[in-house]
Amino acid sequence: MNIVVIGLSHHSSPVELRERFAFAEAKIPDALKTLRESGSAAEAVILSTCNRVEIYAATAWEPARAFAELKKFLLRWSETTEGLEVGSSRCDDRTAQRAVPTTTDSELYTLAEPQSLQHLFRVAGGLDSMVLGETEILGQLKEAYLLAHRHGHTGARLNKAFQRAFHVAKHVRTHTNIQRGSISVASAAVELAEKIFSSLREREVLVIGAGDTSEKTARALRSRGARNIIIASRSLERAQILAREFGGRAVPFDAWAAEFEKIDIVISSTSAPHPILDRARLEPLMQARQQRPLLLIDIAVPRDINPEVNFLENVYLYNIDDLQAIADGYLKQRKDEIARCEAIIAEKVKPLLDVRASADYADERRLFFTRQRKSAQSAD
Amino acid sequence: MAWFTDRHFFLLAVAVYGLSTMYSVFLWRKGFRQDDHVNYLLLLAAFLLHTSAMFKRGFSLNQCPVNNLFEATMFIAWSAAAAYLVIGLLPRLRFLGAFVSPVLFAIGVFAMMPELDPPHGPTPQFTGALTSLHAATILLAYGAFGLAAAAAGMFLTEQHDLKFHKLRAVLSLLPPIQRLETVAGRLVLAGFILFTIGLEAGRFLPRSAGAGYWSDPKVIWSIFMWAVYLILLLSRRFLAQSSRRFAYGIMAAFAFLLLTFWGTNLLSPLHHP
Repeated sequence: MNIVVIGLSHHSSPVELRERFAFAEAKIPDALKTLRESGSAAEAVILSTCNRVEIYAATAWEPARAFAELKKFLLRWSETTEGLEVGSSRCDDRTAQRAVPTTTDSELYTLAEPQSLQHLFRVAGGLDSMVLGETEILGQLKEAYLLAHRHGHTGARLNKAFQRAFHVAKHVRTHTNIQRGSISVASAAVELAEKIFSSLREREVLVIGAGDTSEKTARALRSRGARNIIIASRSLERAQILAREFGGRAVPFDAWAAEFEKIDIVISSTSAPHPILDRARLEPLMQARQQRPLLLIDIAVPRDINPEVNFLENVYLYNIDDLQAIADGYLKQRKDEIARCEAIIAEKVKPLLDVRASADYADERRLFFTRQRKSAQSAD
Repeated sequence: MAWFTDRHFFLLAVAVYGLSTMYSVFLWRKGFRQDDHVNYLLLLAAFLLHTSAMFKRGFSLNQCPVNNLFEATMFIAWSAAAAYLVIGLLPRLRFLGAFVSPVLFAIGVFAMMPELDPPHGPTPQFTGALTSLHAATILLAYGAFGLAAAAAGMFLTEQHDLKFHKLRAVLSLLPPIQRLETVAGRLVLAGFILFTIGLEAGRFLPRSAGAGYWSDPKVIWSIFMWAVYLILLLSRRFLAQSSRRFAYGIMAAFAFLLLTFWGTNLLSPLHHP
C-alpha cells in the first residue's frame, strides 16, 4: 500500500483557485466516504486550510492510476457547490469570492512515496508554511487526521504515518531553531524586552501616540505579562478606548513625562515632526528613575526620540529599522535551519519506508507460496 | 597506579578546562544560539578530575588541602567551578561556562608551576580546624568573586551588543542582562560574607612570637580587598551605581585579586612562618 498526496497550496496556486477546492469541515466525512468508495483510496485524510487543500491517501493502486482518479475526484468535488460553503473553510475568509478554476494541471501537485511522506512531515513541521516554522498547521493537521480517524477512514498505514509526522514535528521544534524568535516587528520588540528585563511581569509600559504598530506591540507585551500599560495620546478618547482594552490607564498627551519614574518600556509613535524626547530631557528623568534600565521603542517616522539618548547609561533605544532587522534576522535563522530539519525528516522517514518494504516483501512471499501451492494442487 | 598523583589528576582537569576554553571560542563565534550541554559536561568532567585531585591531596595530608599556593590556587578554581555547576543547572545561565572556563584554565596553568607546590616535609605549613575554616572560606570567597567576574563579563558583552544593536544580542540564548546583574551581585555578596568569616577566623589563629596580625602584608591586602568589595556593594545599593560600572568594578577587583594574591602571600610572615 502506497501513501500518495494530491493537492494545491500557496506555493502552487493563488487563493482564487485554492478557495474553489476548499472543503467545508462538515462535508469532509462525506467526501472521504465518497473517495474510499471510488476504490482509489483504502485510507484517506483531507487537509483543508487557508493555504492548502490536500488529500493524503493510502492506496493499493499504482500511483499514476490513483492520481488520475484522485484528480477526477477533486475536480468533481470543486464543481459541486453542495460541499462548499464560502467562509466555512478553516481560512474563514468570508469575503472570498469563488472563481471557476481555469486549469489545474500545473497547480495540482502529486507525490508518491517517499516524497509523499517527506511532504507530510514537512507540512507538520511548518517547513511548507507561508510563515516558515509556524505551528498552527500542526494543529490543523491533527484535526484533519482526527476527523478522518473518528469516521473510520484511516487504517494502519495512515495512522502510523500521521503519528510519526506529529512526533517528528515535535522533534524538529525542540531540536532546531525553526520556530525560534519572532518575525513580526511587534514580537521583535517583546523579544528585545526579554533580553533586558528578567521578567516582563513587573514591567510598566508607556505608549505615546496610539498607532497601529504601537498598539500591536503593547498587546504583545501585555500578552507576555507586562503589568500595566499607560496610554498617552493626543486624542484622549482614543487613549481611553485602548486603555480599557489593555486594562491599563489613559493619560493626557502632555502628561506622559510625569509617568517616566515608574515605567520601564516606552513605545512611541506620534506624528510629531520633531523629536519629543532628547538627551537633555531624559537625563534628569533617568536620575529620578535611579538609573533603572529603560527600553525605548521608537516606531515613528519621523523619529520621536533623538538617537543621542542611546548614549545614556542603561537606556536602550531601538527604532523601526532596528526592529525590522531583528525580525529579518530571525527569519534568516529559520531559513538557515531548513537543512537541519530536512535531515531530521529524511532520517525519520526511512524507518517508515523500511517497514513498508518489508511488508511488501512479506506480501510477495505469501503470493509466491500461494501460487506454488496452487500449481502443485493442479499438478496432482 | 601509585605513580598517578594528585598533580596528574589536576593536570588532566586543567587539560579539560583548556578543551572547554576552546569550545567556548566556538560558542562565541556561533553567537550562543544552541543550548550549551557540551560545555557544561566538559566542565563537569574537569570538575570531577579536579575534585579527585583535591581528595587525593586532602587524604595524603589528613586535612583540607589549602596549605601552600598550589593547593590554595587549586581550591579557588575548584570553588568557582562548583558554583558554576550549580548555577549552570538553569539553562540560560549555562552559557556562563563560556566565560568561566578561560578563567579556570588560566588559574589552573598558573597553579601547575612547580614553585607553588614545594614538598611539605613531615608536617604541612598550616594545621588545625580553624586554619582549615579560615583558608577554605577565604578561598571559597575568591571562587565566588571569580564567578561574579565571569557573570560581569557576560553582562558587559551582552549589554554592549544590545546598546549597539548587534543582532546576536537578541538571537542568542543568553539570559537577560538584568538577571546577569542580579547573579553577579549575589555572588559578590556571597563572596563578601565568606571573606568576612574567613578574615574573622584568621584573627584567632595561633601566631609565632612577634608576628603582628594587623601589620602582616597579606592581612592588610585582604582588608583592602574586603573594603573594595564592600564599596562595590554599598555603591550599588545606596548610590544607584550604574550596572556597567558595577560590572567593570567586579572584573577589575577580581583581576587585581588574582594578580596580587600570590605576591602578598609570599611577603606574609604569617603565611610563611
